[in-house]
Amino acid sequence: MGCWCCRQWLNPVHHNAGPDQFVFVLAQTIMKARLKGAQTGRNLLKKKSDALTLRFRQILKKIIETKMLMGEVMREAAFSLAEAKFTAGDFSTTVIQNVNKAQVKIRAKKDNVAGVTLPVFEHYHEGTDSYELTGLARGGEQLAKLKRNYAKAVELLVELASLQTSFVTLDEAIKITNRRVNAIEHVIIPRIERTLAYIITELDEREREEFYRLKKIQEKKKILKEKSEKDLEQRRAAGEVMEPANLLAEEKDEDLLFE
Amino acid sequence: MLESAELYFNVDHGYLEGLVRGCKASLLTQQDYLNLVQCETLEDLKIHLQTTDYGNFLNNQTNPLTVSKIDTEMRQKLCREFDYFRNHSLEPLSTFFTYMTCSYMIDNVILLMNGALQKKSVKEILVKCHPLGRFTEMEAVNIAETTSDLFNAVLVETPLAPFFQDCMSENTLDELNIELLRNKLYKSYLEAFYKFCKNHGDVTAEIMCPILEFEADRRAFIITLNSFGTELSKEDRETLYPTCGKLYPEGLRLLAQAEDFDQMKRVAEHYGVYKPLFDAVGGSGGKTLEDVFYEREVQMNVLAFNRQFHYGVFYAYVKLKEQEMRNIVWIAECISQRHRTKINSYIPIL
Repeated sequence: MGCWCCRQWLNPVHHNAGPDQFVFVLAQTIMKARLKGAQTGRNLLKKKSDALTLRFRQILKKIIETKMLMGEVMREAAFSLAEAKFTAGDFSTTVIQNVNKAQVKIRAKKDNVAGVTLPVFEHYHEGTDSYELTGLARGGEQLAKLKRNYAKAVELLVELASLQTSFVTLDEAIKITNRRVNAIEHVIIPRIERTLAYIITELDEREREEFYRLKKIQEKKKILKEKSEKDLEQRRAAGEVMEPANLLAEEKDEDLLFE
Repeated sequence: MLESAELYFNVDHGYLEGLVRGCKASLLTQQDYLNLVQCETLEDLKIHLQTTDYGNFLNNQTNPLTVSKIDTEMRQKLCREFDYFRNHSLEPLSTFFTYMTCSYMIDNVILLMNGALQKKSVKEILVKCHPLGRFTEMEAVNIAETTSDLFNAVLVETPLAPFFQDCMSENTLDELNIELLRNKLYKSYLEAFYKFCKNHGDVTAEIMCPILEFEADRRAFIITLNSFGTELSKEDRETLYPTCGKLYPEGLRLLAQAEDFDQMKRVAEHYGVYKPLFDAVGGSGGKTLEDVFYEREVQMNVLAFNRQFHYGVFYAYVKLKEQEMRNIVWIAECISQRHRTKINSYIPIL
């Protein structure tokens, strides 16, 4: 433990040795303040971690639901592809040839949960359906159904993508927050408490030293006093000591000329 | 002269007619379909197909077996048979065969044009072309820059040249126009085919003309149905209707004005042939109009085999074989996707 201003090991011969007590008391106040700060911080972080975990669980549940639904929808869409191929023949090359721009696009928005920004994807349609006339002569109905099914599948995929990115981000955030909470709880606070305890013991010791010093001085004084009294007695007994004139006890004053 | 058919037909075409009837006898029957429907995996399907006329056509395929491999192999088999017929044919049967391949050629040309416009490599697209629609100038399509170049340099040699003349006003080519072009080409092709059959006379005309009329009307109905709610205007729609069917001219005019399915149905009710078809739509099996039309087409094609000494048997055989391929692919898809609820929605042939 070092001095709070220069970290030099505290000992009686310290550059601040003068107001020693003062230094220790100041350090103690500061340490108390820090302990309070650390505890408040830990509580706030714990609350944040709880909020994040709650949201995390919600997202997990939603992911499971969406994935199940996704399986169903994809199955439906693949089957409608088979149906369309049955009626309309093989239109896959026509479709692949005519691709130029995306019709369904995604915008990324931000959502805030307890200070953590989560990306959320939202899809929007742009442009007209460039495959409106495919299958004009055969299989148009099945193709329309197929387009609807796959559009649904794409929407579900976008939602799933949002959920999964939030999941991963939240996971990171929760890990970091928990690490901080644990660090404060198991490292910082004990350290501060130990320092505080040390300061208190030092202060006690100082006090005891002070007390002891006072006592010793008093003893010494007492011995001195006894010694000087003994001396005085002896000299008085030898008649050497002239009692100084006691102004108050004096009845006759030599200096008074007139009575 | 009605007698000339029986007297002279076999001289030129008897061998091929016998061959095609033999091929027709090996189409899958209801029993075969029942067996296929009960298969659990595609491997089972392959084993069942080995007992039919398909034989070991899948033996050269590596694992795993997919539906698209089955489809390609079946198509190759049909192509081999068709080429055999074609190579052994004499006029006018060879012209008839050429007419039959025109519809596939139209699809291939549209595909190649699209690819050339998008600067795709010709080899990729050639793989995806329908084998029955092959023509010699296919690789040369990518050197053309615009459609008029394309026509003048490449297509003028193919049998498709006369059909293009009807639609050469399309100078810009985007998605909308490609489909319109395809349908216009098909309309001219159908009308030319119909005229050819009618001019040939005899039993061929008696058999083929009703089939082609039905095809024309069917296209008119389906185009109308599919154009509800799209950008296709009524005038554009009317230019796509083939005029060689029963609906010409009043029916087509009424159809061009139709706005929804009920109006279309009312138009169909004027014609005795189409009324029961439209009534069968919906119903208990959830049939769509297309399913109903497919069934009627199969019926007419099977009936073609009841007469002898005409070219219709070849047309009917190819169409029936195609339907069979579609059925097998459908069953295979249902099996591989484990979605067996609709596995019986194939169109039974025999």
